[in-house]
Amino acid sequence: MSTDGERLYREREQRFNDIVALKKPDRVPIVPHVIHYFATKWKGISNRDAGFDHARHYEAIKDATIEFGWDFTPTNGMFAADGYAALGTTQLRWPGGDLPDDASFQFVEAEYMKAEEYDEFLSDPNGFTLTKIFPRIAGGLEGFGQVPIPPLYWMANTYYLMNVGGAVLAAPPIRKALESLLAMSDAVAGYFAADAANAQEMAALGYPRTWGAPIIPAFDVVSDMFRSLRGSTLDMYRHPEQLLATIDLVQEAQVGLARMVMAVTGNPRVFIPMHRGAGGFMSDEQFEKFYWPTFKGLVLAIIEAGGVPNPLFEGDYTPRLKYLAEFPPGKVAGHFDRIDRAKFKEVLGDSMCFWGNVPVSLLCTGTPQQVKDDVKELIDLFGDGGALMLDSGLGVPDEARPENMHALREAADEYGVF
Amino acid sequence: MSTELTDAIVGMREDEALAIVRRMLDAGADPAAVLDQAKDAMGVLGQRFECGDAFIPELIMGGEIMKDISAEVKPRLKKEAGAPTRDTVVIGTVQGDIHDIGKDVVVLMLDVDGYDVHDLGFDIAPERFVAAIVELKPKVVGLSGLLTLAFDSMKATVDAIVAAGLRDQVRIMVGGAPVDQQVQDYTGADGWGSDVAAALRLMHEWTGRAA
Repeated sequence: MSTDGERLYREREQRFNDIVALKKPDRVPIVPHVIHYFATKWKGISNRDAGFDHARHYEAIKDATIEFGWDFTPTNGMFAADGYAALGTTQLRWPGGDLPDDASFQFVEAEYMKAEEYDEFLSDPNGFTLTKIFPRIAGGLEGFGQVPIPPLYWMANTYYLMNVGGAVLAAPPIRKALESLLAMSDAVAGYFAADAANAQEMAALGYPRTWGAPIIPAFDVVSDMFRSLRGSTLDMYRHPEQLLATIDLVQEAQVGLARMVMAVTGNPRVFIPMHRGAGGFMSDEQFEKFYWPTFKGLVLAIIEAGGVPNPLFEGDYTPRLKYLAEFPPGKVAGHFDRIDRAKFKEVLGDSMCFWGNVPVSLLCTGTPQQVKDDVKELIDLFGDGGALMLDSGLGVPDEARPENMHALREAADEYGVF
Repeated sequence: MSTELTDAIVGMREDEALAIVRRMLDAGADPAAVLDQAKDAMGVLGQRFECGDAFIPELIMGGEIMKDISAEVKPRLKKEAGAPTRDTVVIGTVQGDIHDIGKDVVVLMLDVDGYDVHDLGFDIAPERFVAAIVELKPKVVGLSGLLTLAFDSMKATVDAIVAAGLRDQVRIMVGGAPVDQQVQDYTGADGWGSDVAAALRLMHEWTGRAA
């Protein structure tokens, strides 16, 4: 690591930490939260290739970080397309899978668990995941649903492990599913190698990576990935107790995963993507019952473990600001999408930094002057305390115009040096 | 008119609402009147939603209760002779975007609100919107999207409608989580919305209905 790189890295991380702790920094940094296809598009690499060629993708992210003058290097929000292919996942569609080469990867929301299956999941989450969820989310894993698989503890001795386990493992559908898993793991290993090399290279150049890994709030796990929006909202009325029990069970997993990813990535910043908690999605009463307790618990658990939670409040959280005021001051790096900025300052100005929120629409379709005007508005509003970090509302938009990303840097230099 | 049924639907009491419907039908109530009453209750939910007193779960659950009630009532309905003509709206998620959750809630509420909604689905190419306008002659076209790539697809769709000479026959709304005035200006649409309430407001305005 060069001395210059080391110094820059320390300065940038310290500036981030100061801002989170509500101390006025020397200037307003640009901290892009997450990146998908922006850098590769800018480099003329197709979305398909961006998913498969991890080294080229990370090279493009490095070049974009330097070219557009970002203070942090954004975390890659895309996972390995070769891993999707190995699994034959049906839960995602991606360019190079059944989408055209210039499409974006997209999540397929569906009822991967039926309402009548709550009790089965709650009584045996591991068995249910293996034999019901896995076959539903990936063609390559259908075998786990085709051959009866006994609970592992039935085989907790050499005799039954060989007799029962040996027979199960000999079944062709199980073999095929295991081969899919191993092929997925090989693909992921290649992705992780490129990812680690990039983190190291960027650190040497002086750029901390924004966050290490995403941890989804428990309600969103259940709503996005198990029951769908429709299913989970109907469950609020038809199966509230089972919904809450499942949220509590998933919460244990999310807190455990948060601790695990902080240890594995060595990055204290944990991204929390927020979906269904936004204003409009549910009433305050429903939010208090189904969303807030586990989300708050996750944020506090990350702080307690020495991390910095980075919730990305997607949608409009203006109606929820009063809840966010319950977090300990100076500990949460809240990233905002659509929000009433003045109202934020009024309610949370003394307890949370503001990270965001140049509209993605402006970066994708507006002019450099419009972008600069918007940045000026942000700095005029938050500049007195200085607890401000610039980004779009949602990380680096795929379709952002490069000249607008340059304008972001120019505006930060022009208006954001204290 | 029984407020009992309205109260049960608005109060999200599914079983009770269905029991009331069955009781009314068994007592010889006109099935069409029962259905109208249930629709009125959904209208109340829609108004509450627009005022910020009801939220997505109420709309989805209300839609579900409506579906149950329709299944109960429809077999007993006589074929309607001259159903009143309803304003038509064509809606779809634009090309390249497969997200349909937001659009589906809009479709549900516009349908309940009495519009003749033609849902084209998701990943819809501009020429399919144009063909639907030619075939269905809608008053309003709704273009939905969640991804930033949808901005260009929305613009391409509006451009295609202009090129087909159909632009002055329809009002166009663009909608979705990242959509704002900037996107309306960029695409050349007539209105924008980032939630269901905005879609309802635009429809009411454009079809001459009181809000």
